Amino acid sequence: MLFNSLTFIVFFAVVLGLHNAPLPWRGKKIILLVASYIFYGAWSPPFVILLWISTVLDWFVARRLDQTEAPGRRRLLLLISMVGNLGMLGYFKYGEFLMENFVQAMSLLGVIYQPPKWDIVLPVGISFYTFQTMAYSLDVYLRRAKPAKSFLDFALFVTFFPQLVAGPIVRPLDLIPQFATPRTASARQLGWGLMLMVLGLFQKIVLADGLLAPVADKVFAVKEMLHPLDAWCGTLAFSGQIFFDFAGYTTTAIGAALALGFSIPDNFRAPYAAIGFSDFWCRWHISLSTWLRDYLYIPLGGNRRGPARTYVNLMTTMLLGGLWHGAAWTFVVWGGLHGLYLCLERILKPRLGHLAFWRSMGGKITLALITYFLVNLTWVFFRAQDFATAWRMLSSMLLLNRAGGPVLTTYFLVTALGTIAAMLVVHWRMRHQTLHEEVQRWPAPVLGLAWGAMLWLIVTTQGGGNAFIYFQF
Amino acid sequence: MLSSTSSFKPSENPPTYQREVPAGRLGLTWVAAIACFLLGLLAWEMNWRAYGSVPSYRNSDGLWAMQRRRIDAGEGDKTVIIGSSRLLFDLQLPVWERSFGERPIQLALEGTGPVPFLEDLANDPHFTGKLLMGVSPVLYFMGFDRRVGALDLLQRETLAQRAGQWLSMHLVEPFFAYYDEDFALMTVLKRQPWPDRAGAPSPPEVRKLSIHGADRNFQMWSKVENDPQYQEMARRTWSQLIKWRRKGGPPPDPAKLREEHIRRSVAAVAKLRARGVPVIFVRPPSAGEWLAAEEGGFPRAETWDVLLQRTEAGGIHFQDYPELQGLTLPEWSHLSRADAEKFTERLCRILQKEFGWALSSSGS
Repeated sequence: MLFNSLTFIVFFAVVLGLHNAPLPWRGKKIILLVASYIFYGAWSPPFVILLWISTVLDWFVARRLDQTEAPGRRRLLLLISMVGNLGMLGYFKYGEFLMENFVQAMSLLGVIYQPPKWDIVLPVGISFYTFQTMAYSLDVYLRRAKPAKSFLDFALFVTFFPQLVAGPIVRPLDLIPQFATPRTASARQLGWGLMLMVLGLFQKIVLADGLLAPVADKVFAVKEMLHPLDAWCGTLAFSGQIFFDFAGYTTTAIGAALALGFSIPDNFRAPYAAIGFSDFWCRWHISLSTWLRDYLYIPLGGNRRGPARTYVNLMTTMLLGGLWHGAAWTFVVWGGLHGLYLCLERILKPRLGHLAFWRSMGGKITLALITYFLVNLTWVFFRAQDFATAWRMLSSMLLLNRAGGPVLTTYFLVTALGTIAAMLVVHWRMRHQTLHEEVQRWPAPVLGLAWGAMLWLIVTTQGGGNAFIYFQF
Repeated sequence: MLSSTSSFKPSENPPTYQREVPAGRLGLTWVAAIACFLLGLLAWEMNWRAYGSVPSYRNSDGLWAMQRRRIDAGEGDKTVIIGSSRLLFDLQLPVWERSFGERPIQLALEGTGPVPFLEDLANDPHFTGKLLMGVSPVLYFMGFDRRVGALDLLQRETLAQRAGQWLSMHLVEPFFAYYDEDFALMTVLKRQPWPDRAGAPSPPEVRKLSIHGADRNFQMWSKVENDPQYQEMARRTWSQLIKWRRKGGPPPDPAKLREEHIRRSVAAVAKLRARGVPVIFVRPPSAGEWLAAEEGGFPRAETWDVLLQRTEAGGIHFQDYPELQGLTLPEWSHLSRADAEKFTERLCRILQKEFGWALSSSGS
């Protein structure tokens, strides 16, 4: 079920009504759990079984992990959880990719192998909920957390519909305790939750789908060399589209959870105002970057084993982070570039960081723009269907080939560049503050006008119900 | 925010994360927001009603899929119509129902060649009725695929999408005149007179021409018939579109493309015939620059005649029947409401007379 659909509005109204009905807390949790299965099953009912497998597997593994002291046995239990979760992910998400690469490798060796057609549909959001349940088993294995006391609470943690299919990837300790005690939203939480939902839907329907996606789609569909302005405009549009799409989803998810009385952590903090790449990853998809940091980078040794190992760990983490997004080499390159940027930043910071210029406003803006420029180069690989398209785009953008013609009309140029400029200004303003801090400075009527305008824009844009980009991950 | 568990030990029993809510008068904010929204929506709705729009069901892929599913849900023995926009506008389902005693299933799609839909029906054993297939030469023989995504939706439409379609048809579409893709905010913005950018011309966009019933019975929008300026704009758009296509040059091998679509039609019609499904091709009327472009680029002897001869199916070409000529096509491509009714009535009589399709007692 998509947030940006009439079905979801009706579904959410029903769930909200039942959640606020005079029912026992256990009954309300069962309603939330059933609602979450309906939410997920509305895409494809059979895939609910995957959720059950993930839930049951990690529930039993974590309990045994907690009761077992023998290191070997504990490792075996953890392995069962990892194999179960990563096995599902591997089969559904990476099976075809691995097979294609195997076939190509064989053909290089002169062996022609024709595999049967891989006709497996990727379950929506599988990467998100497998990472969430893996975090649970890992936390219990590492003795960072005790297993959940109630199966119902744990099942709800795995399945909680607001963040089920595209995050944030919530940590067990952030969510499971919230299911332990009765909870409904206060009037203020309900009001703010609904406001966040409007903001999230505005980001998705108006900004991402209405203004930016047509530009990015048009540019990345061209099979010839592009005019540099068009190539840049398409890439900048995609940078905005993916932000508003993903941040729109998580803002709606956070709002929906809050309207029900639950708190989900932030996933974005004005990422395009980042100064450098360490800063960028503290602002972009925070729940994934902290997951990778805590369960991959730090266990690999982090920065504790010397510079060379640190760089290897950074690259490994970011390459796998790229692969997490999708089963294609373009995503690996995207992750690799981010790893490279992080390494370069680590090398350059001690050498150039002392210059006074970087601490001035001009220096900070320069660094933020350089960061945004470099992020855009990575988005080319993220968005392009293949390397040929990516090279063509980069050749135009970096003025290596100026032979391309224009494809974007004035309307597309104005709407895309205007939206991106506004986004960058807003991100810079929001660099050191949260949304609620900003909002509470506004007088209520002005705020009402802004939210009324967003509602009007959502309704008059008549969005086509496009799926969120991150659903495919 | 607890963003990391790495520093946490169970004994520390951390506080549950609690999202902050802004201080201020959120109630007043909501009252102001809803008031602004309702006022804005009212103004927007009144604007489009004043422009001539009336509430109408949305011509969506979801609505098409809903009609297509009827074949697999026990109505496979009915008459099915596929084709492009002409048979969609020109064939009036109530008139057909009066003539034949049953309402056909309308599956034609504008701007789209029907061959993939013919193949879809040929491969569906549930379909055992009769098939009427519209031929708009450019779309049919060039295989335009503007709405072919409807077939994909049919295969992968989720329960949520189906529910959304139903809700939209019951809560939104019958009540709001603004809810039409021609009046979507970005569409309106896009068609403003933006300065031209050298080398990046914009293809002409076809404006709203029709209103639609819940079972996809299309009618020409009254504004096209009654507003001379709008009618002129609609004709100008077709004219520009025809020139735009010419400017783009012919496809690499038009004869090959034509042959491909005829070959696929022959195979699909044979499959249907083997199942006892009669197939009749219909070439609805066109006029003005459309007719000139079609006769120039798609001569009947190389297209229509070959299609009928190779499929061995029956065909009704408007130029062969005086009663199907002289009808009003306000924008050269589709019949006016009144003449669409006349066309349907006369078509039904031809089907009865020449192909033995039995009229109902009220239609005879």
